[in-house]
Amino acid sequence: MATLIMNELYDDSGHKEPGHPERPDRVTAALAGVHDLHLGDDLAIVPLRAATRVELVRVHEGSYLDELGAFCYSGGGDIDPDTYATYDSWVIALHAAGAGLAVIEEMQRQKQGVGFIAARPPGHHALKDRAMGFCLLNNIAIAAATLVGQGQRVLIVDWDVHHGNGTQAIFWDNPDVLYVSTHQWPLFPGSGTASEVGGWNAIGETVNIPLPPGATGDVVRRGIEEIATPVIEAFEPTWVLVSAGFDAHRDDPMADLALTSGDYAHLAQTAAAFAPAPGRLVMFLEGGYQLDALRSSVQAVLGSVLGGEGGDEPPSTGGPGGEHVSRAQFERSAALTLMHNASEGEVKS
Amino acid sequence: MTPLHTIAVGYDGSPDAEVAVRWAMETAVATQSNVAVVHAAGLLEHLNTNFARNETPLAVLSLAGECGLDVERLFWYVNDGDACSVLLRAGEPPVGADLIVVGSRGQGQHPGLLLGSTSLEMVQHSNVPVVVVPMPDPPG
Repeated sequence: MATLIMNELYDDSGHKEPGHPERPDRVTAALAGVHDLHLGDDLAIVPLRAATRVELVRVHEGSYLDELGAFCYSGGGDIDPDTYATYDSWVIALHAAGAGLAVIEEMQRQKQGVGFIAARPPGHHALKDRAMGFCLLNNIAIAAATLVGQGQRVLIVDWDVHHGNGTQAIFWDNPDVLYVSTHQWPLFPGSGTASEVGGWNAIGETVNIPLPPGATGDVVRRGIEEIATPVIEAFEPTWVLVSAGFDAHRDDPMADLALTSGDYAHLAQTAAAFAPAPGRLVMFLEGGYQLDALRSSVQAVLGSVLGGEGGDEPPSTGGPGGEHVSRAQFERSAALTLMHNASEGEVKS
Repeated sequence: MTPLHTIAVGYDGSPDAEVAVRWAMETAVATQSNVAVVHAAGLLEHLNTNFARNETPLAVLSLAGECGLDVERLFWYVNDGDACSVLLRAGEPPVGADLIVVGSRGQGQHPGLLLGSTSLEMVQHSNVPVVVVPMPDPPG
């Protein structure tokens, strides 16, 4: 069995708002999913650290960081109708971002293992200059940017039920990061159509697979196999990072996809297969608001990639969305053709 | 000057948004243009839907009546996303606005706070003209 390398937990109890679904209990539930695996010596806990200013500004604008920090230290409040911050949120967010960096550093030392970041607030909606969608700092983007700075080619697989608009925007024009997302659409944040394929310097390196409410795991698998896999294989990633949101589970109240813990186990195995070597797969907790589903899904995902069991619930089948996958493939191809034709015309003229 | 065709205005149910909607409607009456009232459905709205997608809120209809805006010129949109992204997309089809109106602060936003300021983001990033309607001073 491979080693699970996790961040030491930070006290995140100061980042909460009464009645808000993004709450400290989520990390407790994720951690329970880890403990359910009874890993013993196969679990390594990495000391926590805060992300540094140098690491943060690879992704976020300095003025945004200054303002977010000042806002928190002035007592915090609601940043928008979805997103809050408290006095403690700044330091907690710094440690959530640093957790991924610390785990990756340990994996680089050990050259083996699977990384899992159990930290909050989540990150994939955070833009370079704006908090949104419960997210303050884009944890996975900060980790990916650090790896890119070391010359790595990073695949980000985002299976959260919401499109990771922040991560997509941050790496839109970066040829060293391939962003692949499966998500419900239409749904918050409204982005993530198949025709969004990347910027002029990274044509095709954004892959969106939007799915209708009720879509089951077989549809997600088909989308990844038919649309994403050829792109990933051509990209040849040296690291695989996963925005592991568990709100596409059928019991989660935040959306309407119909995945099971068994589907998540299958998705995790698929992501792991794209990693070129041991010690190159790291999963970051994003969404997931139904605590039992979160716990069982974390157990299933980590169990499956560590060589154990893949969850109590079988993979789901029979939901709608097959035609959406076909349409997404068509829309993506059309967008790519348009961009390639335009870029060729530019060269000729 | 190119005549206005559609004025989009953000609406989140707050008193401040009503001030912006009223300004947009009065301008539409004066310029004989349409008004697209746009609501951004955030993450939490999946748990607690604030506005029906196919039904213009009574408060908006009431404002139209007060401003003398023909309901034939009134359109209601609920689009997924944060307020800034949704309003930026209002400059594109199907809304296709040629002017976007926002209140100087929206629901959940602190006066004077730049963080999360929809109006500031709109002014910085919109491809169509933006009007930021100042909010009246609080009483007292």
